[in-house]
Amino acid sequence: MLDNTVEVETPEHVRFRFRAAGPTRRAWAYLIDLLVRAGVLLVVEIVLLLATGQHLRSSGAVFNGGTLLALFLIEWGYFVAFEALWNGTTPGKRGLRLRVVKEGGYPLSFMDVVLRNLLRTADFLPVGYLLGVLVMTWDGRFARLGDRAAGTMVVIEDPVRVAPPIVLEPPPSEAEIESFPHRIVLPLPEREAIELLLRRRDLSPARRLELADMIAPTLQRRWGVRLDDPVRFLALVYHLAVGGAAPSRPREVPPTQIGDRP
Amino acid sequence: MNRTQDEFVAARKPAWDELDSLLAKKSLLHKLPPVSISRAASLYREICADLMRARGAGFSGDVIDVLDSLSARACAALYSAPPARSAGLRALITTGFPTSVRRHARFMALAVVLFVLPGVLGFVGAVRSRGFAIQLMPESMVAQMEKSYSDLGHGRAETTDSMMASFYVYNNVGIAFRCFATGLLFGLGSMFFLVYNGLLIGVVAGAVTAAGHGRNLFTFMAGHGAFELTAIVISGAAGMVMGYALIDTGSRSRWDSLRAKARDLFCMIMGAALMLLIAAFIEGFWSPSSVQPVVKWVVASLLYVLVLSYLVFAGRHSSARPGR
Repeated sequence: MLDNTVEVETPEHVRFRFRAAGPTRRAWAYLIDLLVRAGVLLVVEIVLLLATGQHLRSSGAVFNGGTLLALFLIEWGYFVAFEALWNGTTPGKRGLRLRVVKEGGYPLSFMDVVLRNLLRTADFLPVGYLLGVLVMTWDGRFARLGDRAAGTMVVIEDPVRVAPPIVLEPPPSEAEIESFPHRIVLPLPEREAIELLLRRRDLSPARRLELADMIAPTLQRRWGVRLDDPVRFLALVYHLAVGGAAPSRPREVPPTQIGDRP
Repeated sequence: MNRTQDEFVAARKPAWDELDSLLAKKSLLHKLPPVSISRAASLYREICADLMRARGAGFSGDVIDVLDSLSARACAALYSAPPARSAGLRALITTGFPTSVRRHARFMALAVVLFVLPGVLGFVGAVRSRGFAIQLMPESMVAQMEKSYSDLGHGRAETTDSMMASFYVYNNVGIAFRCFATGLLFGLGSMFFLVYNGLLIGVVAGAVTAAGHGRNLFTFMAGHGAFELTAIVISGAAGMVMGYALIDTGSRSRWDSLRAKARDLFCMIMGAALMLLIAAFIEGFWSPSSVQPVVKWVVASLLYVLVLSYLVFAGRHSSARPGR
């Protein structure tokens, strides 16, 4: 299985998983940061021009000096400053919901930030982060050279939420339950398939019906059950096999976002 | 106890939301009131248990994802990195930097050789033949160098000084950082840049000397050289330390071997960067000033003594304590 999850074990021996960010997503974040840096430089230039009252062509020493200093700060300081102050994120990383963390899942220390960002120069070799991307493909965490040296990784922080419960509405009738065998065993992959289908919010009813129609006949044949509505059939199977939320008290659980920080 | 997923979620969700809101308040947990911190810690343990339970029971992916991300965030907040303090900078200057330089004295020696030897070669070569200099640098650049040192000693306008200071910050710190970072290629990049920069500086000095302005040049360079040249050597040495850690790993993996050196590398490169900042200011404001050459030479000698004795002696009393 092609997998980008990284498992981390805490001192409590709890294991949890991160999703490591791949080169594409990080390249987009880098692009945003590049634009931000260009924008900052532009603003500095305009301010310098206005302050010194000079034209670009006859640009004087103050203008040149200011530009060089700004260039230096932006080239070497931008990532260090943001990752240190914003706990492993930069504007571009925030835009793509990325964060740099230690391999153990902890926040970065200033030393890690400095090392991983100074070594960008090595990752950039020979041109356009070619070496960095090559090295990333070697590693389950997509760590570039700087990441490896500092022991860091870039993780995805997409908001995740608990899917709504599978509610059978109206409650199953006696006849429906009677039509099923006494005991239903649902293998895990099938159960997961049904859950995926019934818990997803982004499916239109028509599409849900269409998909359910592809799964339901197999199961209907297995237990010799006939039911006109394949979606209801699958929900019924799930409730009988797993036991869902008690249908007598339908709840409105609002989808709560977890993990999404503004 | 044998609850279904939906019942489990309904029962546990308030605790998850509570921890989520605690974490959302401040990304730094230690800024919350103590009650909230201990509450967060106990919620974190509960949620770790929830995660194990959800995984064991084979609950659907979304529940596990939520618990994964929540426990990961809580763990990061509870076990956060030591906060950066201003004392860190002081410790870097008083002990961290000089002791880590001394700890890698052999690489320092190698870096000096790699930097100075090509420098001497370049100098001698360029003094003896202009053709040699032109082989290594564009002729126009050689000519410009010769010209710019032909009449030093009048001083520059102050605005030009500040511009040049910025230029030296940009250029020299950039060179040093590159010199360090390319050491990741098993030290080869650092070695190359040390030799290259040494050679270049030697050739410039040689060409200017051949044109008869050597005195001007060395008077100019003497003051900031103490900081600038030393800092470039230190960055090169740090790069080689990094490269060698990847080669001679002891019983560690390559990257673990490098990470064991991370603190030293950090101290060396940050120290070098600070030295280059000082160098840029000297180079921008002092070196081109119209002060008498004699004074410049005396000051330069003092600066050399200062830099060397700092690197040799600073932080000795606490160097028995191994760096973290």
